[in-house]
Amino acid sequence: MKYTPRLPETNVNVTPGSPLKEFFLLACGLLGLIAGIYLLLGLAVDWLAPRIPPGLENRMAAPLLHSLEKTPAKDPRVRCLQRLVDELQAHCAHLPYHFRVHLQDADAVNAVALPAGHIVVYRGLLDKVSSENELAFVLAHEMGHYAHRDHLRGLGRGLVLMAIASLFTGADSSLNSLLSSTLNLSEMRFSRSQESQADAFALAELNCYYGHVGGAVDLFEKLPEPAGPASVTHYFASHPANRKRISDLKKLAREKGYSEDSPKPLNCASGESCP
Amino acid sequence: MDLIIFLMLLALGFFAGSYAEKRHYRSIERREKALLRLPAVTLKKVDIPQGKVRSARMVHGSAVISVDYFKRMLAALRNIFGGKVKSYETLLDRARRESLLRMKESAADADIIVNVRIETATIGRSSRGKQRISCLETVAYGTALTLEK
Repeated sequence: MKYTPRLPETNVNVTPGSPLKEFFLLACGLLGLIAGIYLLLGLAVDWLAPRIPPGLENRMAAPLLHSLEKTPAKDPRVRCLQRLVDELQAHCAHLPYHFRVHLQDADAVNAVALPAGHIVVYRGLLDKVSSENELAFVLAHEMGHYAHRDHLRGLGRGLVLMAIASLFTGADSSLNSLLSSTLNLSEMRFSRSQESQADAFALAELNCYYGHVGGAVDLFEKLPEPAGPASVTHYFASHPANRKRISDLKKLAREKGYSEDSPKPLNCASGESCP
Repeated sequence: MDLIIFLMLLALGFFAGSYAEKRHYRSIERREKALLRLPAVTLKKVDIPQGKVRSARMVHGSAVISVDYFKRMLAALRNIFGGKVKSYETLLDRARRESLLRMKESAADADIIVNVRIETATIGRSSRGKQRISCLETVAYGTALTLEK
């Protein structure tokens, strides 16, 4: 046997083809898959959220909101807010929730609807309001989210996102901790139509409780227009742009025939004479 | 922030990896041509009379090649969908050929290398499974025969 030295003409051990193309194809496939799962589960959440009875919601939320449950409402401002919510609930809203108001010592002009009827109001918002009606509108707006179960939808979607992230990257990945830290934010990021519905609910509440809707838009008139991407995370950035919101509310008030009167002064800040 | 780091690593892996791979292949092809006169065969027995063999010794060559970030991500994506892991093919191909070349280079004065074997091992894998450096080692070894003129 004669050995003839020669090199192979082609390399059969390496498949030809661009790795970049393969990468994009696979990455797009994966992203498409994730988007599909998120969309499907999101729809499932939308379907399921309004069907969760409030009793079950309370039981499910109890272990998570344990720290909120325990904190006693010592602050007179919290008691005052609580009384306002209770009044609204007793006279007009009649929602199947036991609302509890909490005050968060932060500068943000913000209020959040947490599961099981826990409304968190930020101190920044309390500093901005000047009339009781204004405050009642904000509280009724949050109650509107409960009425439409928006808070569960937001939370459900956040959970779906977390579940998908941990499925693909592992439970203790950096992506997951990033998501869980922004989950608080994402759960209150409602769609514009959800915000508008909550606004309409709040307006009806206000009219029912005070007999007029004066003061409803006062808070939004005091807020600056969100400018630039820096305010994207801001609570009101996810709400319909303020000016549009004011005009929408005024239009709705005209359509429904709500009258406008001078709002009640607020004594909440000093904590003396509350509603 | 995490995403930016990820994309930068991906780009770095792709460009640095492709550059290194092209350079390596050029070097492999040049050296393979130069060492073509030295046959390396897998035969265990050759019909060379005992008296004609001046010396016989074991020669070996090994090469360690690391995967770049882009290739690893591509392989991870392949892990989900299945199929040929093309991004690791060049890695193994380069390691095998490099180790064969190094074996031949270490026996430059021999006439033939018989009974050549190639072994592959992954190294740099920690038992904890996290933060492993995936790279592979290929060892080629054989018996170099120098014949009487």
